[in-house]
Amino acid sequence: MSTALLCTRGLAKVYRSDPVAVEAVRGVDIEVGTGEFVAIMGPSGSGKSTLLHMLGGLEPATRGEIWLRGRRVDQLSTAAWAILRRRHVGFVFQFFNLLSNMTVADNVELPALLAGATPRQARRRREELLGELGLADQAGTAPARLSGGEQQRVALARALANEPSLLLADEPTGNLDSTNARDVLRLLQRTHERGQAMVLVTHDARVASRADRVLHLFDGMVADDAPVLRLPRPVNGVRDVVELHG
Amino acid sequence: MRLHLLALLAKEPAHGYELKLALEQTFGEAYPSPNIGQIYVTLKRLEQDGLVRSEDVEQTTRPNKRVYELTPAGRETLRAWVDEPSDGPRIRDEFFTKLVLAPLAGLADRMELINSQRRHYLGIMRNLTGLTPSSTPAGLLIEGAILHLQADLDWLERCQEELV
Amino acid sequence: MRGTLRWARADLRARRGQALVTVVVVAGVVAALVLATMLLEGAINPWRGLFARTHGADLVVYFSYGTDTGKLSKLPGVRAVDGPFQAAPATLEQGPVKSPVQLTAMGQIPPEMSTPLVVAGTWLRRSAPHGVVVEASFAAAVHVRVGDEISVQSVDAGAVRMTVIGIADTADQGFYPQWTPGLIWVLPPVLSAVEPATGEREYVVGLRLADAAPVAAGLAVQEIYNAYDGPSENSVVQRFSTAQQVENSMASDDRLLGLLLALFGIIALCAAPCAIANVTAGRVLMHRQDIAMLKALGFTPGQVIRMLLAEQTALGVAGALCGVALARVVTSPEFIRPPDGTPVGLAPLPGSWVTLIAAGTVLTVAVATVIPAWWAGLVSPVAAVQASPPRGHLSLIARLGLLVHLPAPLVLGVRDSLTRRLPALLTVFGVAIPMAMITIALTCWSTIDGFARHPGRIGLAAALTVSGPASASVLARDPQVLATYPGAAFDTLLPGDNGTFTALAAGTSARPYPFHVADGRLYGAPDEAVAGQGFLDLMHLSVGDLTGVTVDGVYVDVRIVGRIVYPDNNGDVLAFGLDALQVAGNPQPPQFYEVVLRPGVPTSAAVVTLLRMPHDQLDVQRVPDPADGLGIVRVVIAVSVVILAVIGLASLLTATAIGLRDHQHETGVLAAIGLTPRQVMATLVVNTTILTALGVGAGLAAGIVAAPRLINRQGQSSGLGAGIASAPSPLMVAAIAVVALLVATTAAVGLARRTLRRSDQVARLHSPARPALKRTAH
Repeated sequence: MSTALLCTRGLAKVYRSDPVAVEAVRGVDIEVGTGEFVAIMGPSGSGKSTLLHMLGGLEPATRGEIWLRGRRVDQLSTAAWAILRRRHVGFVFQFFNLLSNMTVADNVELPALLAGATPRQARRRREELLGELGLADQAGTAPARLSGGEQQRVALARALANEPSLLLADEPTGNLDSTNARDVLRLLQRTHERGQAMVLVTHDARVASRADRVLHLFDGMVADDAPVLRLPRPVNGVRDVVELHG
Repeated sequence: MRLHLLALLAKEPAHGYELKLALEQTFGEAYPSPNIGQIYVTLKRLEQDGLVRSEDVEQTTRPNKRVYELTPAGRETLRAWVDEPSDGPRIRDEFFTKLVLAPLAGLADRMELINSQRRHYLGIMRNLTGLTPSSTPAGLLIEGAILHLQADLDWLERCQEELV
Repeated sequence: MRGTLRWARADLRARRGQALVTVVVVAGVVAALVLATMLLEGAINPWRGLFARTHGADLVVYFSYGTDTGKLSKLPGVRAVDGPFQAAPATLEQGPVKSPVQLTAMGQIPPEMSTPLVVAGTWLRRSAPHGVVVEASFAAAVHVRVGDEISVQSVDAGAVRMTVIGIADTADQGFYPQWTPGLIWVLPPVLSAVEPATGEREYVVGLRLADAAPVAAGLAVQEIYNAYDGPSENSVVQRFSTAQQVENSMASDDRLLGLLLALFGIIALCAAPCAIANVTAGRVLMHRQDIAMLKALGFTPGQVIRMLLAEQTALGVAGALCGVALARVVTSPEFIRPPDGTPVGLAPLPGSWVTLIAAGTVLTVAVATVIPAWWAGLVSPVAAVQASPPRGHLSLIARLGLLVHLPAPLVLGVRDSLTRRLPALLTVFGVAIPMAMITIALTCWSTIDGFARHPGRIGLAAALTVSGPASASVLARDPQVLATYPGAAFDTLLPGDNGTFTALAAGTSARPYPFHVADGRLYGAPDEAVAGQGFLDLMHLSVGDLTGVTVDGVYVDVRIVGRIVYPDNNGDVLAFGLDALQVAGNPQPPQFYEVVLRPGVPTSAAVVTLLRMPHDQLDVQRVPDPADGLGIVRVVIAVSVVILAVIGLASLLTATAIGLRDHQHETGVLAAIGLTPRQVMATLVVNTTILTALGVGAGLAAGIVAAPRLINRQGQSSGLGAGIASAPSPLMVAAIAVVALLVATTAAVGLARRTLRRSDQVARLHSPARPALKRTAH
């Protein structure tokens, strides 16, 4: 067991619907250090989302170990996982990230309240987050009225409300057009720069390229696990780009 | 064509006509039908560069055929070519060539090739996304490059699915 | 905790409509229960209501005239004293019929304790010096109405004519004729006119005790006797009556009433949890994604369950409070009065009962929420991302339907509605159960109708019982009389001495009384008899058995040839011809004649005519019609039907909302296929209406099948006998079905329109259709 923030050994997930058993994830070993940004890529059906869900305790693992902050968590009950998630895991999904019956402000405050903050503390944190995201004047709006990009940003704010040890995101830009995707990407980068550990599932190379490390999943197993190369920067900026394809 | 011939010879020595057949078989329609004359010319140049050597083999009923084989220098050139990452769509063909031929040559594992290429693309992508365009045309150019890269990466995944 | 509160608050605010539905359902149920209990109580035990309303006295004591009643207030245990009032015995003369009465003198201002409750006319007033107020049960028994002139005579003096200016209820004495004498309130001068001799008068005093329990009341009486020199022949204390005695006397024995009302209690208690569970389950279904998201955020399953339970229970409490208020409002003016004039004081229930009903309903809400809440606890947090697509089980039928050129909306609508089993089941049940209950309610209504129109069905062919000398000849001459059956009744001990039954000689074997025979036939010979269900149960006999009973000293041997429906006495009756007794060796003259009037002759007219005949001492009694008291039940039925309709509507709206929400995403797809907007709406409407139609049909069918069985079983167990139920007319059933379907369709159209509008907005934004389920790795 290393000193990494998150560590898995031989993690596997098998779905059984008799008589068929489907192995979505087959023996994955990964490590995520504090403040590290890891991107998980892979073709659809490779088990990325399932792996992410297991890391956040949304789905129980069939086999293997998961260690979070030095503590073994793969055998925790649903309730214990839920309590763990409050303080240590923030989750951003691809769709349906926000509670439809609450305003934006309530959505962002809820995790803080859940973790035991007072309403005042929760409100202060919410104002802080929404302000940073440029969504302060949407605080009283219902989620259904926001655009996709706005919803994802609010979702990010919600996920970061409790300053979790680990942020997990499943295709956070998957649903967005390039402008909105860029905005969200910038946000993610800023969050990373602040020292947030993040694991993102994405097929968007732009997002993956900003990570510290990229994991490539194929057929339920890790096919590649390498840091993103820091190639010599193009000295002449755009002209080098032209030259690259010249 | 030089590298194609080198790669084919890495597997086993062959004479010109065999090489022509092998090229056709390996790449099918993706490669324009090779002209035997061009092949001989290229082989001669390769020999002049010291990358291949030839040997006459006596045949009983036909004229002698010249069999070519790879020299150590040739093998070295080939290795260097395989190991070096390739760039851009124009060079996709090159990567594709590598992907198809290298395993035959016993030079590399397909999965490793793909992984290596992907890492390279991601590195380029990192640089591209780090650029701040000074004007709209420049921004568009960068965006175009990014989209191409994304497409290349997606294509890499497809290759992985089909060939590995 | 705070997180829970925040979510609950936001949820209630956002889903006001659904919360309102829950509150309305609970309020309706609570109101119905309170109402039904009040009515039941009032019908079966009218005393309590009367007592509360009239501020009745715990103890009524009669003293000899002139006693000093001042001592009474000083006695320990006596809280208040009212009186003394003068009273005198007299006789009411109506032709040959004489009824004993007691006249009590009161002033223009009614007393504060035991205030007579005027139900017709007015109280005594000095402007009408000969005006009197008659007690209600007495007035009904002697057929006296406001405006009638009556003649009252005391032992000594002559008759005094007086006018009835009012009719009132009191809790001081029981109903006439179980309790005699009848009571008439008069002004003091009238009393003096009737009974000038003060020696014949009495003092009546009403007392309120500190402790009204029977034991304490007995002690109080003892003390009164002691205060006035002990009980003896010459005591000034003449007699007394306690509130307990009055209550016992007033308590009705009406089984039919009790059973039908009990049936409704059961209905309400069954319909309520079903409706509430349906509404709650519907909410859980609709919010699966939200619940999944909550879990992803960090709500434990236990928290989710508790949250839902707390939310629903809070709504339940709100609903219960509304229901209690509603019941109070609905019953405060005294608009419920059964047609036969029997006093029914509709007193508000004691606070403890109301609390019990409200608490019980809230508990039912909580229990009904448990299963949907537990189910919500099981919702996987991953449901937020992956939702299972509908499974097309009916594609074959759909293809066939399209093949025969059925309209596309119809086919698509049907296919869609039946592919999601659980919501479909919820919808069907949620509508079927109230429908079934409504059908049962209507069957009860038509059963009561059956009694009213054909009293013979409940064993009451005869309207009057006439007794007295010369009855036969009088009746023979009366053109209103269709037939008479001589009869005699004997209270007989059961073999083994453990109870009594009524041995009824009715008619003769040659001409038996036309009982309503449910099984077998009437007796046709002296050794045959028919029996009520109660008797058969008591003796463990059935039709065809032999039995022997000792009636009035003689042993009568009979074979039971039939089972009759008999309303009185729990059906503990054995009936045979009068000649059977003769054969057994104890010929009896008829004690009375059961009189069947010609059809169309109103009973009261016949009574009046008979009473005017020039003869003496003819006693005419109306046969009490159990169906009379059922006027209350009709009201209860009507109220229950309304409440059930509300509950059904609530379930229907929830079901429609579920269905429409599910299909919100598919409207875009439908439009893309090529359906016009009107067709898209038609698809949505068909989709939801199909299920509600199924529910309506299932409910109706279940109700039609179950109701007669239920009623007959209840009748059987109460000794009344099975065979009393009559089904509602097909026309009524069809009307109900049509109304229900119309309501369902209207609701569906209304909600569909709103959904389509909303889904346009949503489509514009971005919300994608559900992502496909990717569980397979390959």
